Amino acid sequence: MKKKTNKYLIVALLLGLAFHGTSIFFTLETTYDALIHLFFADHYANSWFEPWNYKWYTGFTVMSYPPLVHQAIAAFSFVGGLKLGLFTVAIISIILFITGVYRFALLMTSNKTVAGYAAILAVLSSSFVETLHLFGQLPSIMGVSILMHALPEIYLWIKTGKYRYLLTALSLIAVTVTSHHVTPIFGMIFFIFPLIGMVIMDASREQVESIKAITLKVFLNSFFKLFKRVISFGMFSLIIIIGCILPYWINSKNNPITQVPIPHGSRDNFLEITSSGLVFFLIPWGILLILLPYIFYRYYSKRYVFFGLSITILFILGTGGTTLIPKLILGDTAFNILTLDRFTLWASIMSLPLFGEFVYRFAEGDLKTLIQKRLGAIYHRIVGGILAGLFIFMTIFTMSLGYFRPSQPQQIKMLPIINFLNQDQHDQWRYMTLGFGDQMAWLSAQTNAMSVDGNYHSARRLPELTTRPIERLENSKFKGLEGIGSLQQFLTTPEKYHLKYIFSNDKFYDPILFFCGWQRLRQLENGIEVWEKLNIPPMPSILPKDDVATWQKILWGVIPFLTVIMAFMLNIQSLWIRALKTKVTPLPEYLNFKNDYSLFSKGLLKTTHIWSFFLAMAVCFGIYKFYIKNNAHHSPENAIIAYYDALDFKEFEKAHSLINPESNTPIAQYMLEISVTDGLLSSYAKLDAIETIITNKTDSLATVKVHTNWITPLEKINKTDHKSLIKLNGKWFIQPDDIDLDLPPDQLYSNNVTTYFNQGRRRITTQQTHHEDILKQPVLEVLSAKLIKFDNSYVLIGEVQNIDNVPADVVLKGTLYNDANKELATFNAKYHVKHKLMPKEVSSFKINFEGIAWSKTQDSIPKTFNPDEFTPMEFHEQPTKFNLQVAGNVSGSDLYKKATLSDLDISPDMINGKLFNSGLEEITIPQLLFTYYDANKNMIWVDHLFLEVGIRQQRQQAFEYSLLKNNDILLISNDMKNCFVNGLPNEAISNKIVPNRIKNHTHTKLQSIDHPNYKFIKIEMNNYIGNPN
Amino acid sequence: MRFKYVHLLVLVMILLSFTASMKSLKINDTFRLLTPQTEFEAGHDITLKFSTNSDSKPDLYLSNSYGSIIIKPVINRSSLSYQLPKSLGNKTGMISWKLLGSTLYGKLNIHPKQEVATMETYLGPPSIETGETDYTMLVVIPTDIHDNPLKDNTQVSVMYQFLANESHDTIYMKNSISYKNIYSKTKTGRMLISSECLNKNSKEYDINILPTIPTDFTITYNRNHEYADGNQITTFSTSIIKDKYDNIVSDGTYVDFFITNASNDILKTSGSTVQGIATAKIIHPDHQDIWEVKAFVKGISESDSISVTYKQSITYFKVAFSEGNKAITVGPLKSFMGQMIPDGLEVKLHILQNNIKIKTFYKDSFTGYATFNLNLDSFPDSTYTFKIETAGIEKTYRNIKL
Repeated sequence: MKKKTNKYLIVALLLGLAFHGTSIFFTLETTYDALIHLFFADHYANSWFEPWNYKWYTGFTVMSYPPLVHQAIAAFSFVGGLKLGLFTVAIISIILFITGVYRFALLMTSNKTVAGYAAILAVLSSSFVETLHLFGQLPSIMGVSILMHALPEIYLWIKTGKYRYLLTALSLIAVTVTSHHVTPIFGMIFFIFPLIGMVIMDASREQVESIKAITLKVFLNSFFKLFKRVISFGMFSLIIIIGCILPYWINSKNNPITQVPIPHGSRDNFLEITSSGLVFFLIPWGILLILLPYIFYRYYSKRYVFFGLSITILFILGTGGTTLIPKLILGDTAFNILTLDRFTLWASIMSLPLFGEFVYRFAEGDLKTLIQKRLGAIYHRIVGGILAGLFIFMTIFTMSLGYFRPSQPQQIKMLPIINFLNQDQHDQWRYMTLGFGDQMAWLSAQTNAMSVDGNYHSARRLPELTTRPIERLENSKFKGLEGIGSLQQFLTTPEKYHLKYIFSNDKFYDPILFFCGWQRLRQLENGIEVWEKLNIPPMPSILPKDDVATWQKILWGVIPFLTVIMAFMLNIQSLWIRALKTKVTPLPEYLNFKNDYSLFSKGLLKTTHIWSFFLAMAVCFGIYKFYIKNNAHHSPENAIIAYYDALDFKEFEKAHSLINPESNTPIAQYMLEISVTDGLLSSYAKLDAIETIITNKTDSLATVKVHTNWITPLEKINKTDHKSLIKLNGKWFIQPDDIDLDLPPDQLYSNNVTTYFNQGRRRITTQQTHHEDILKQPVLEVLSAKLIKFDNSYVLIGEVQNIDNVPADVVLKGTLYNDANKELATFNAKYHVKHKLMPKEVSSFKINFEGIAWSKTQDSIPKTFNPDEFTPMEFHEQPTKFNLQVAGNVSGSDLYKKATLSDLDISPDMINGKLFNSGLEEITIPQLLFTYYDANKNMIWVDHLFLEVGIRQQRQQAFEYSLLKNNDILLISNDMKNCFVNGLPNEAISNKIVPNRIKNHTHTKLQSIDHPNYKFIKIEMNNYIGNPN
Repeated sequence: MRFKYVHLLVLVMILLSFTASMKSLKINDTFRLLTPQTEFEAGHDITLKFSTNSDSKPDLYLSNSYGSIIIKPVINRSSLSYQLPKSLGNKTGMISWKLLGSTLYGKLNIHPKQEVATMETYLGPPSIETGETDYTMLVVIPTDIHDNPLKDNTQVSVMYQFLANESHDTIYMKNSISYKNIYSKTKTGRMLISSECLNKNSKEYDINILPTIPTDFTITYNRNHEYADGNQITTFSTSIIKDKYDNIVSDGTYVDFFITNASNDILKTSGSTVQGIATAKIIHPDHQDIWEVKAFVKGISESDSISVTYKQSITYFKVAFSEGNKAITVGPLKSFMGQMIPDGLEVKLHILQNNIKIKTFYKDSFTGYATFNLNLDSFPDSTYTFKIETAGIEKTYRNIKL
């Protein structure tokens, strides 16, 4: 028999390389995972045999992920850089995938044409496109491709018992496991077990006349006959799976994943969260959904029955949290750790041979004949066109999803950041990025500086991170309470992590940075804002690490490539022969079990039609619902929701289109009004929840009460607005709100202010700052400090004054001790202090001792979203003493003090007042600090209020503050013996600089209030300027 | 038999080891130090010579405060020469030596070269307060070419320039450093400091003498007119704030202005000084008021208390109800000359039912009027009391039907 190269396979390879090979250059870098793999590759490129990486999470081990793909990228990077390595490995995996599908399909269908069809379809299948171009899961693709290559070898080993096949099968399993650990484990269950079933079925078939004659007895007989081969294969692969990545298993055992599970879209209820349904169900299945009846029908035929079972389970597991079944099958733990999208991926890959088969039968086989005979040739052509159109549509849709709904922020130029980190020894401190998305991995790969954050959450070690269901601090704004909560702990006590620099690509985080005491350094030329915290010690030169035995390091560095070389050597011969047809070889055993493609089941055709009709109905219904939900003018609720959404996403033109067109608000006027409003709510809030209650509705008018919850970096804001709507020409519009009519007194005015500039080092040199350029730390004085117990939590309150002649950045660090002088807790002042003080300025302060939220597993994580939530530290012993360390550093930034208290109206439970901005800058977020005093004017509590709306120059802004009702405040200690300023005793400093201090100087100017527990209050102003002039 | 072999082997081993160790312990060799000099200047070549009568070449062990070293001799007929490495000879201090394999040992002293190569100078803190109690410390370490501090009692001159004065002091090296505590003066300014030793001068150093804490001061105010129209700025200024030595306090000194109004509420504004004068601005109240203003530098100094009176600017306004009491127009709001009040005066409408406040609406005036358009849906049909408040004047309308 003359052997011919399969043309379809060649077409598939050429098509695949041309299509994916060019498009990866535009997609791969914006995928979720590719840059993480690049970072790992960078690690291997720099230290192949040392698994410890210092760059992320205060150190972690790369033994937490199978190394082959990373090492391969690293190896190629020696030739042409990391990105070349990445793309090379991606192209290799594309080739492996296409050939893998071909071999798998050939094994399943015993028909080269069908296998060729399957290979071509695989190239464009939406699940593959999604996994590669949207998720960037290279190891997963590599793993599953090689697994598919292994399947025919496994078949042949069990069928023929030739040791050659055992060796080739095992060598391929070894490569699979070193590229992706999950693939062979689940591949064993979902691919190899059914395959073994099929081999036994085939063996049984040889015993009897027809497939129908196979009885359980015959089957069992064959099973026992082949039992030895099955078991030996099982044992050896188990050894290989464990042995090849032994250090990985040892590491997992030593550092079990004890973290709180991170929510993943694949576990959502797809009907509720339709975006997850789209990404994790509709796209990977794609057109296969129409073929489901065919796929199930075929896989439940006797020969494939085990595949039928397997694909059923995969299908169900892939539906995530839509039904309870996956959770019941997997159990709670596995359900919460595994990402379930991989099941759908495998199911779709498993369907590919049958997809090929269907297309073959449809295009040139019995199905074509059947349809043409029963429904006509035109119908056949139309259906063919529709199917092909849908298939290509899904491919294009999937490819372009990343373009229309980018999962990543715009590509950031890293060079300015890398240069910044290399300058002035900035890499002596840790850094953190905010709003970089997965590009933070690319930054980490390029710099030697270390980050507290990281992008591989299984390797996290700090309890502040592992107890939260967040992947990264980086994108914490998307994780609500847990995210911002975690972030603010890092921002409040950065010295614990030697965290000095933050690169912010998202203005959202600016307020939290400012109010945690950070200051803006400058904007880099790529638009990234650099924030800096003063008083952070540099990192020690020796950092801790978890070392592992040398043999593990060698194993880890050598085995993966060894498996590739072994597999290559073992398979090269057959590959050579297969590819170049140098020798005529006997046909593989599996080609003896041909399917009969002569009689397509009529019932199946009917079922497919009914099913397709049902699907089409479901799609139409979905589109209709989508339209109704998204037609902004359809109902008052829709109009309101669309309006708030538009405001949330700053789509002001769209928002304006919802404003009553007869209200004489032209877009220019509307934009102008929007552009002059600034503040926490309009510039830094994200709409979290919206509820509309129609209070009144007639045919043409409606009034709606709108409850909105906004997440800001500082706190959660609940608002209730009343909106009136009007119906014009069958469309609902919103009546515009009143605008601020206040006219400021002056047109042009001036202020004399003192500004400061610290040169840093006066001579341009790479050496450390010369000692004469180092400024004296400003002297501060703690005027009062006391330890208070309130509601089981302990706080330090007091007042601090800058008694120097230069402005100071203030860092307050409190430590609590028990009677036996045992340290119990330490924390820094967060929001309750003015972090920047002018000479002689005073600020009240409060230090909350925050614990790590939900550090105990039994603490259930609240479902609601509240960045302001505070978890008090748990004390097992009674704190009785405190130590307060105050550090001052000269700072010339953020010294705007021009908010004045211009009006007050005190009632027993409320303070209403107005703030007036008398200066030259627009105050973006005004903050008020309220200090409460008892009847004897003893300070007993400090509270704060952020105003939601900013204050423009020479304008007033009203505020409303509810007085606190707490009454069980207990003074624990007011012993100020252990207060230190810049490391020196507070009292000595005080006696030297302000020897004759007037005690209680401004007590006559405390505001008296009518309150059962508090008699006086002091109000201080603090301001965040978002856009300094 | 085998046992015996082992014995024999052990015996031979012991003997062999004995002879080996004997070799290095020949104490009958006699060495004698030929170099009498024990005092050297840093940087000179130092060679220790010994006479010997044997051919053994013992090593010389040397140790100073930087570390220890063993050196080998150069044999010259019957003498052994040990040349000390530069790393030892360049550093001042004591070097201990011992000739290994003999009982000879001794000490050498290295003295600095009395020639200044660099003036290592430290001055800190870089800023101090006036008042002759705060000081900064100058540390001068004249060093020779090998970075050794010069000998104790070496004379160092310190020169000062401050305002119109130039002066100098003489200090002496002690324990390898010379230092001087420089006390501040009663005047602020920059003091330049330099030092000199053996005709070598240091570079220029400076310290800033900053003012000490402020003393009491007075305040004044300035405004365009005396009417409470809520639309002008009153500026408070301090007198030039000085410390007790009559120096103007540093720029940026923060002054709190507390304003106690007629209803005993404490309003607040603040300023920081420029050339000793702090100015603080605040907007006029929108109703007549008397303000008591006093400024503080907390815990340190304060001003006198001044009184500022604001006259009522609006004395009367009209209220018109229309569209079934749905629209309420307040105005014209006329200011002191009969002019329309500038836009932005706040008008409050309180709606009460049975003397309980249900709702308050706020409106800013526009061209002298404020119009409220009530959404009747929010109010059940009933009678209400309307209270309209602006510029401190309140008008009440009872039994308004909605």
